[in-house]
Amino acid sequence: MRSNRMGWGLLAPTLIILGIFGLLPFFYVIYVGFFDWNVFSAEVGRQFAGADNYRRLVFDEEFLGSVGRTLLFAFCVVTIEMILGFLLAQTLVRDFPGKAVFRTIYALPIMIAPIAVGATWKLLTIPGFGLLPYYLDKWFGIEYQLGSHSGQAFWTTVVMDVWHWTPFVTLTMLAGLTAIPKEPLEQAQVDGANRFQVLRFLTIPMMMPVIITTLFIRIMDALRVMDEVFLLTGGGPANATRYIGILIWRVVFPQTNYGYGSAMSLLVLYMTLVLAFLLFSVLSRVGKQNTSEK
Amino acid sequence: MIDHTKAVSAPVEHKGRKGFLPMETNLFDRISISVYIFVAICLLWLRFIEPLGPNVIYGALLCVLLGIFIVRKG
Amino acid sequence: MGKKRSNLGLIGTYILWTMMSIFTLLPIYWMVVVSARSRVELFSPGKFWQTTFYAQNYTNPLTSPAFQRYIANSLIIATSNALLVITLALFATYALSRWKLNGADNIFFWTITNRMAPAAAFILPLFLLFTRAFKLGDFMMFDTRIGLILLYCVFNLPFAIWLLKGIIDGIPIELDEAALVDGAGRWTILYRVILPLAAPGLAIAGILCWMFAWNEYLFAAALTSTRARTITTGLAEFVTVTGTNWGEMAAVATISLLPALIFLVFVQKYIVMGLTFGAVKE
Repeated sequence: MRSNRMGWGLLAPTLIILGIFGLLPFFYVIYVGFFDWNVFSAEVGRQFAGADNYRRLVFDEEFLGSVGRTLLFAFCVVTIEMILGFLLAQTLVRDFPGKAVFRTIYALPIMIAPIAVGATWKLLTIPGFGLLPYYLDKWFGIEYQLGSHSGQAFWTTVVMDVWHWTPFVTLTMLAGLTAIPKEPLEQAQVDGANRFQVLRFLTIPMMMPVIITTLFIRIMDALRVMDEVFLLTGGGPANATRYIGILIWRVVFPQTNYGYGSAMSLLVLYMTLVLAFLLFSVLSRVGKQNTSEK
Repeated sequence: MIDHTKAVSAPVEHKGRKGFLPMETNLFDRISISVYIFVAICLLWLRFIEPLGPNVIYGALLCVLLGIFIVRKG
Repeated sequence: MGKKRSNLGLIGTYILWTMMSIFTLLPIYWMVVVSARSRVELFSPGKFWQTTFYAQNYTNPLTSPAFQRYIANSLIIATSNALLVITLALFATYALSRWKLNGADNIFFWTITNRMAPAAAFILPLFLLFTRAFKLGDFMMFDTRIGLILLYCVFNLPFAIWLLKGIIDGIPIELDEAALVDGAGRWTILYRVILPLAAPGLAIAGILCWMFAWNEYLFAAALTSTRARTITTGLAEFVTVTGTNWGEMAAVATISLLPALIFLVFVQKYIVMGLTFGAVKE
């Protein structure tokens, strides 16, 4: 009994901090979400509004469009990164001189602040002196204008995210690939299986826990993308790259619509939690299957 | 004398039971699932059913009943 | 035949990875180039190489008091946060590893999803709490370093705990028991047995937490105004406030990624383990 108390005592400071700065805002946002609270509105203070914020939210085309856009972004980014990362990891399994150097260079984007990634890409794509607009125009005759073509803006954010996070996917995949036992693969090749069959029936099933863990982390990260896009396009042109984080920022700060912003935040949190829960169940189930097979 | 030092399970591992839900769940999981379903139904209600008439309160009540059922039997 | 083929494959690998390195380094290279150019040089298009160095882009921000404060704030916040996080995480992980604490695991599942959740969803409640609720007389949590230090714990603590969990679990309980038999108290065990064995893990967790705190932008932008601004918010200000001083912005961005360059060498091997919360090991 007594020592259990010590266990909780050691855990207490952590729980207190997480409670005050993690849980309290969560409950506060639920509470504020039921109020009509706009700093610049005629009525002073906040007024209870029941489910009105949510009533408005489920019909808000801007919000729903932004959610859809974020999901599309996450889908594009995660698909590209997973495939590219998996293929690139294959080439790194074997040792070759200079591998460590390439790996270190390649891992660099992971450590850079997202906002600095945005700054780098802004400098790269800015009309006037950016490399990309200049050479795209000179070599291919493509007019590259981030500020006016919504398609280009969207795909630039995708490429930026791929640049930023494919290294991470590659390195996790590589870790997974080096951890799987080599004998079954060699045995299969002796038995006459071709490369594709080995990949399809042996490597990928054995890699499943790593693949799913990476997928989980990447989906969650892609959905919360904000800083780099904020600096690169500011959500524009029009609303082409106004992902959900940027939309919330706009509702909260320039518009100071606190009640509505809370409802929006809460709904986004809700969607993330459900997604995390579903992915997590799948993840732990696959993990369990894998260990029971051993 | 030292039998109180037990290794704790990993944070991810769920020790639960099997109800009608397609996986093993503990109380925390079942409450979460109920809340998730509650919110989903209420939002869909707001969007599709309320314009036809019935207030969202009825939807919420329905969800509470469903939630109790899930927590007890899931 | 086989030998020839593997040689060909090796050349292919080199070509591929040289291209990947160029693709990776190009944006960073361009940023450094821009940071070395004056305004006039900047708008002479098509110049890819750089021979001159326009130092004013660096000296201007580095000598301005506001910017010095940003850097100091960032350093203080990141360092205090990292130290606080690894201390608390060591306690918490030890507790989780050696005692059966009912319900504690669920709390951590919840907080880990907290970390995964869109940060934007928390800026509003935190902004309101920081400006209206967390007050004590004249003291307001808004625009203070301590506010950011404690706030970053919410994101770094679950991360550090998950990372350390495997390491502490890996330290055999027999060592604790032996020390207990020798009459050592829990604190002594923690300090003499666990700390030395977990030190490498703590260092990695500390560095990664330091990087997260240094890199964080959104909360720093929402929860500070002047006194506690960090370098990342300073970087964003170049775009919005001072208009388009691209050279200085590039210089500040370059400065902001120096720690990444330095730490990369140390944690390169552990990045994967770190960023997957210890789920994928190398």
